[in-house]
Amino acid sequence: MGDILKLVGQRLGFGLGILLVISLIIFFMVELLPGDMAQAVLGQGATEENLAALRREMGLDRPALVRYFDWLGGAIFFDFGSSAITGERVSAVIGQRFMNTLFLAAYAAVIAVPIAITLGVLVALLRNTLFDRVANVATLTSISSPEFFLGYILILFFAVKWGMFPSIASLSSGMDFGELLYRTFLPALTLVLVVVAHMMRMTRAAIINLLASPYIEMARLKGVPPWRVIVRHALPNAWAPIINVVALNLAYLITGVVLVEVVFVYPGIGQALVDAVSKRDFPVVQACCLIFAATFILLNLAADVGSILTNPRLRHPK
Amino acid sequence: MSAFVIIYYAILLAVSCLAAYFNQRTIFLAAFSLTLVSFVLGIVGGVPALRFVAISAVVLGAAAMISFAFREFLIVLAPKELAKELRTAPLTAAFGMFVIFTYAVAAILAPWIAPYGEAQVVTSAFAPPDSNFLLGADQLGRDMFSRLVYGTRNSVGLALTATTAAFILGASAGLLAATKGGWLDQILGRIADVIMSIPSLIFALLMLSIFGPSVTVIICAVAIIYAPRVFRLTRAVAGNVVVMDYIEAAKLRGEGTFYLIRREILPNSTAPLIAEYGLEFCFVFLLVAGLSFLGLGIQPPTADWGSMVRENATLISFGEITPLIPAAAIALLTVGVNFVVDWMLFRSSGLKEQ
Amino acid sequence: MSKKDVLLKIRNLKIQGYSNETWVDIIKGVDLTLHRGEVMGLIGESGAGKSTIGAAAMGYARDGTRITEDSTIEFDGMELTTATEEERRALRGSRIAYVAQSAAASFNPAHKLIDQHTEAPLQYRIKKRMEAQEDAVDLYRRLRLPNPEEIGFRYPHQVSGGQLQRAMTAMAMSCRPDLIIFDEPTTALDVTTQIEVLAAIRDIVDQFNTAALYITHDLAVVAQMADTIKVLLKGEEVEEAPTAQMLDNPKEDYTKSLWAVRSFTSPQRYRPTDGTPPLISVKNVDASYTGGEKVLDDVSFDIYEGMTVAVVGESGSGKSTTARVITGLLPPSKGEVLFKGEPFPPDYRQRSREELRQCQMIYQMADTALNPKVRISEIIGRPAQFYSGLRGVKLKNRVDELLDLIELEPSQYYNRYPPELSGGQKQRIGIARALAAEPTFIVCDEVTSALDQLVAEGILRLLDRLQDELKLAYMFITHDLATVRSIADEVVVMQHGKVVEQGPKEEMFTPPHHPYTDLLLSSVPEMDPNWLTTLLEERGVDNVGDAALAQISPDDEKVAGTKV
Repeated sequence: MGDILKLVGQRLGFGLGILLVISLIIFFMVELLPGDMAQAVLGQGATEENLAALRREMGLDRPALVRYFDWLGGAIFFDFGSSAITGERVSAVIGQRFMNTLFLAAYAAVIAVPIAITLGVLVALLRNTLFDRVANVATLTSISSPEFFLGYILILFFAVKWGMFPSIASLSSGMDFGELLYRTFLPALTLVLVVVAHMMRMTRAAIINLLASPYIEMARLKGVPPWRVIVRHALPNAWAPIINVVALNLAYLITGVVLVEVVFVYPGIGQALVDAVSKRDFPVVQACCLIFAATFILLNLAADVGSILTNPRLRHPK
Repeated sequence: MSAFVIIYYAILLAVSCLAAYFNQRTIFLAAFSLTLVSFVLGIVGGVPALRFVAISAVVLGAAAMISFAFREFLIVLAPKELAKELRTAPLTAAFGMFVIFTYAVAAILAPWIAPYGEAQVVTSAFAPPDSNFLLGADQLGRDMFSRLVYGTRNSVGLALTATTAAFILGASAGLLAATKGGWLDQILGRIADVIMSIPSLIFALLMLSIFGPSVTVIICAVAIIYAPRVFRLTRAVAGNVVVMDYIEAAKLRGEGTFYLIRREILPNSTAPLIAEYGLEFCFVFLLVAGLSFLGLGIQPPTADWGSMVRENATLISFGEITPLIPAAAIALLTVGVNFVVDWMLFRSSGLKEQ
Repeated sequence: MSKKDVLLKIRNLKIQGYSNETWVDIIKGVDLTLHRGEVMGLIGESGAGKSTIGAAAMGYARDGTRITEDSTIEFDGMELTTATEEERRALRGSRIAYVAQSAAASFNPAHKLIDQHTEAPLQYRIKKRMEAQEDAVDLYRRLRLPNPEEIGFRYPHQVSGGQLQRAMTAMAMSCRPDLIIFDEPTTALDVTTQIEVLAAIRDIVDQFNTAALYITHDLAVVAQMADTIKVLLKGEEVEEAPTAQMLDNPKEDYTKSLWAVRSFTSPQRYRPTDGTPPLISVKNVDASYTGGEKVLDDVSFDIYEGMTVAVVGESGSGKSTTARVITGLLPPSKGEVLFKGEPFPPDYRQRSREELRQCQMIYQMADTALNPKVRISEIIGRPAQFYSGLRGVKLKNRVDELLDLIELEPSQYYNRYPPELSGGQKQRIGIARALAAEPTFIVCDEVTSALDQLVAEGILRLLDRLQDELKLAYMFITHDLATVRSIADEVVVMQHGKVVEQGPKEEMFTPPHHPYTDLLLSSVPEMDPNWLTTLLEERGVDNVGDAALAQISPDDEKVAGTKV
């Protein structure tokens, strides 16, 4: 067991290190701005006094390193300072939105993961049949379509032509859960379409890779029935690749969500990011980027740890 | 029962029977399953659904025929070795090649194909399609079709440039890391790890917010974001070549790094690298389209598919498909490239098994 | 033993493989009859289709192959080609079992050995779980596995290769099948380990009177195991006869060529006595790969000009590492390499072109040693161009000369690519590339072990001729003692990174030996069908393989041991 703990510890440390480096990148890239943040907010026409006042207000007169540690220290407690445009607390602006985004991603994941893995295994078993080829073409088409294309097609048919679902996913407090699911169905479905295709292809590849192992042939030559070959001989070794596939796609969901939120005017963190980018509201941009990156790294980390924990060679050391 | 329905079923049944009589298994299966599907959908959705099925079937059939013809055309034109390869291409790959070919023609000959100028206001806003304006007009009264054609140049051109930049950066770093090994390999690997830990769209948005949306910034951003992916693949492919004894023989001979890369490693890694180029192009193209859709890509009045979707998005709520056309153009090209890449990957993995 | 009943009857077996969009015949109509309790050896070179026939005997066609409809495979009265998949599957594991080449890859890493062992008996409801486990332990004991009570409860990666191979044989026996297919079960093992596996397999097949198809490319091995031998060549049968008859008196020319004991022996050369320093001198070298354990421990030996030193040992003994130290790929952590008495820079990157030129290498796998995307002319021409600066016509003449030297027709091979050549031709190109540098010393790393017998002999003759013509010194890394006997002048025996014994060839092959050398020499199978029986009687079943190895230390005294 010592080896596993050591490996897991190593991975966690590595993830933390990367997160730190990324926080550095996010913070100091803004420092690369021609002029500085105050200049960017007020524009070229601003007077010296106004600039100086804003700098003092935003704490820009202190050295960059001090401000970085200040910012990082706050970020650990979800405090990202205040918006450069409105002066509101960033955490207040994006707090609820972040929950909304998580909800949407989780909604999509709950539908997509079981479907994708079942279909992926099925397609792997039926490889080189007509079903496999059709699935191949369909998934390729789906991953080739931009999220906004799928989103608008769904809006066109489900919302405009057939009027089954609302085209704008507006949320209000006090909505019951069923209503929430109904209103966010189309954005979730868009995400599902994209992610299922990716996940299916990856699962198929992972399983086919596994079925080529000599121990699978050995099991067949031992007279083990096909279902048992899969369940008992392939699956215990397939966990690692499947965990990786799931994590990779959940991470993909996190980015895909930005475009989908814009299409459906969903009040999530992605929309906040896009707004902040076009308004050049840097504290918000930094906060959103850090949150997205942290989620992304966390998911990859979880996948790594998962595949270490399911590796029989590591679980039963010599 | 309209005449359409009767004729439709008559044709399907006739084709099925003829195919069955002449022992054409595939055609029979296709035609008869289409009949069954039409039957079910016809009962559920009535004539409109049937019409939809019929149109889809005809479109699919036409695409298959074009692909088949285009493949034969390429086989005739291509030199012997290439022709042998092409013969193994499935229809989907042929379709992909045809799409790429069409887009290339549209991009190169854009000024001659497009009836109007790229930013020329020629009619009223959102004018419906007619014989002068094939696809109608956009929110400012510019001809959609002309902008679509010019958009090929701009959108695809930008994505191609950015992919190439990312590819050159990533591939040369990967080759160098594989050949040199040691600390250089370690450092480059770590840098790639860090960059790949930031979601690509988020990283692009961060850079665009700081440096402002311009073509140069987009190209640089994409190059930085995608170079690590290319790096990883190149490193892996070249890593498999580097362990070969012939590389050791060349090293022991005293050959320099550049010779090793150029004469020994590159010739043995071209196939996966070309496939990777196609794959990366798809990712980059979708990312750039996403950025333009968010209003952070190529700036107006230059025609660009992503921003065309955004500008006309309001039409969707009136049931118009105009904004979907540029989006479909994006999807079609990506699908085409993916089909070709899929075939190439299958070929290279298939060859390995033998 | 009643060997009257026919167990397996294969007639006109044709198997096709899918390649380049068409079906190609791999097996072209083979007949085979196997009686109950009979062991038949299927032998042939790589690509002869032995394994494919083995799988077909179970009614199994691997992915990408198919058995044609006019073939018949009759197992104990049941026609397998027309049987349903269910019926065929019901035979596998219960009445026909399979032992694969690589046990390490063929055991599922996720389950304990004993669970995989009992899977078939439980599934066919032949035994209850406890019964099956007891039976497994009994089989492990019969196969002389250490700790039979306990070994089954380990995972595959916790058990050594030789033991896994025996555990797999035990698993095949779990339902007491009528027939076992052994598919090269000892090919991946070292010679000393091979012995104990061979002995174990032979005993257990005898004890249960099981019929077997024993597939291998090693004649000496098949001579120990089989009652009858069938020789295959490119998917067709060459001949079949009882083992003794086949060994004494083969009919076909191809078989005779296989049987021909290596006839070639180069005359023994001796060290110069006039005090010239050795060409290469390895002095007290220690080496290890980054961060790992010591792979070489105080290795010293000399190689004189124009002589061949064979370095012998099993995998992991450090022979290839020694070569890497000499060529400068792995700088030693202690000690040095001298060239004509002068120190050679330890890292090849610090060596001058002239120094690099002196020392060339020929590799085991000609496939990976030649760049498949480069023409023969450039492969051979590049060193000549690189070291001697030859260009244009001079370069072409030099390449022609080199091709002549390795007995290949220049005009035919000049513009071809390596994948178009046969294994032997590729190995010759590898030799030409080494010669193109005009070296004084060549490292030959297992150059003949991937080649078929006859081709290998041709290469050895060529190397010997070149050695005399060009005054070359060879360091010959090999595990094959027949090769040592035919080409070496001096022998260095290595074990666990240490030199256990070294000296002129004639001394090495006469006792007294170091115990390890003795074990190594005695473990190499011979054509005599009684060899294994005699050996086991002489040494005792517990004094071969790992058990014997465990008692040996590099510092042991020489023993009288085996006469060879």
